Amino acid sequence: MKKNTLARIGFSLPFLIPLFLFWIIPLISAFSISFTDWDYISPKFNFVGFDNYKDMFLDTDFLRALQNTFAFAFGTILPTIVLGFLLALIFQKAFGGSKLFQIIIFSPWITPAVAVSMVWSWIYDPEKGFANYLLALFGLGPSSWLQSSKTAMLAIIIFTIWKSVGWTFLFYIGALSQVPKSLYEASDVDGASYLRKLWHITVPYISPTTFFLIIVNLIQSIQVYDQIQIMTQGGPGGSTTTLLYLYYDKSFQNYQMGPANAVAIIILVIIILLSLLSNRVSKRFVHYE
Amino acid sequence: MKAKLISVLKYIFLCAISFLFLFPFLWMLFGSFKTNNEIWQKPYQLFPSNLDFALLLKNLQEIHLNGYLLNSFFVGCLGTILILLVCSMFAYAVVFLKSKNMDRIFVVVLITYMLPGAVTYVPSYIILANLHMLDKLTGLIFSYLANVFAVFYFRQNFMKTSVDFVEAAKIDGAGHWTILRHVILPLNISAFCSVGLLTFIQLYNSYMWPSIMLNSQEKYLISQGLRQFFIQDGAYGMNWSQVMLASTVAVLPVVLILIIAQKWLIAAISQDSGVKF
Repeated sequence: MKKNTLARIGFSLPFLIPLFLFWIIPLISAFSISFTDWDYISPKFNFVGFDNYKDMFLDTDFLRALQNTFAFAFGTILPTIVLGFLLALIFQKAFGGSKLFQIIIFSPWITPAVAVSMVWSWIYDPEKGFANYLLALFGLGPSSWLQSSKTAMLAIIIFTIWKSVGWTFLFYIGALSQVPKSLYEASDVDGASYLRKLWHITVPYISPTTFFLIIVNLIQSIQVYDQIQIMTQGGPGGSTTTLLYLYYDKSFQNYQMGPANAVAIIILVIIILLSLLSNRVSKRFVHYE
Repeated sequence: MKAKLISVLKYIFLCAISFLFLFPFLWMLFGSFKTNNEIWQKPYQLFPSNLDFALLLKNLQEIHLNGYLLNSFFVGCLGTILILLVCSMFAYAVVFLKSKNMDRIFVVVLITYMLPGAVTYVPSYIILANLHMLDKLTGLIFSYLANVFAVFYFRQNFMKTSVDFVEAAKIDGAGHWTILRHVILPLNISAFCSVGLLTFIQLYNSYMWPSIMLNSQEKYLISQGLRQFFIQDGAYGMNWSQVMLASTVAVLPVVLILIIAQKWLIAAISQDSGVKF
């Protein structure tokens, strides 16, 4: 038995040391720093209680970042889920070339966000960009896209849907392949139409997947950073500053470590609340076998 | 007849969708063959007027991406190997060396799974500074080692592995390391490939954390290097044909991996909730 304890320690420590150094201790210290006025440069700091949190809710920058983050999250998630699901339906039965099409739709997801953001910022160029060319074909536009505070967030959202829908799509293909064929066969006997089967069999059956995807996409979109840093740097006029961008700006640009970590804790709380909420909702409404 | 029509329509629709998804990549690839003048003067023409490989090579030398690429490959390869090692060992301990304490530790790991990594950046930065590992590629790798997704994926796969194999090896007098290396690894080789590929891509693509902790330009990863290249001349002094080429070069390795190893990659992705990058 003693030997097993030794093996446990030996096999766990190489993982547990970095876990403690870069996850557990930082989570605890981020929480502690959020109650101070530390400026990173000086070794001295004071405890300020809940001041950083109180200030935050009077700070228009923070409130706008909160609003931007949710606008971004809802703007990307609904189209991502709907598009991912509809595209996956096409692939419910395998056909010639289906693998190739899947790979193409998925490919933006694995490419470096920085590289593709650079190409998209050319596509969004108000004068020479392809996006306005497309709009003109439909008699619309021109739009200033990334250069106007009215459209910059929309442009980032469109880019993000393009980049991330492939992951949701692949996940749905996996879920759809697990719907038992017998369910469809039974309703075929009753002469049910495709849409009826879709609504009464497929959608309820994969609802756990849908909930999971909504939560994971939500958690990821709260952490959006790369494309914003490349395409707009939070601008114009703060219209694309999200919570994580604000955190970066406050901490590593302005060295306001107290307020920055208060933002971090708010991000954390939002994500924990969403995870708990999803557990609740899924237990009540989602269909499980 | 009707089925055939639907099938044709499906293919037409899928080709249109594919074009939409591929368009930015095509734009990037063809853009790197165009001269800068051509990009500005004929902005809506997809194909370059001539395929000038000499110009391409000249631009390739001017963009100086080699160092950044090398850094990314170093972090990607060494990081992936170490993450596979560390996380498979931990998952082995959780599954095959079960105890009350191991279960408790695993619950802690479980909790960190959904948490946003970015929240830890300020304290992680200070900890790295205290360890004298800031601005070092090895420090970056060290901070990435606790990959919770890898532990989950290994755990799920190890639990499906029959305990009989492990017991038989124990009777033969094999130690835990030998069992992991010669029994568990061969039986779960596709799980190792899946996690390895996904981890490599995550490390290769990583941007926010490296750009915080790596400050000297010769340490930059490819994404940081690209950004440096993108901002150095300002929007209008920019040589777009070189930007397109640089992006193409950066994207190429992951696209090659996707083409070659789609099977493993897709297996891993459909189980990942890929939260901490």
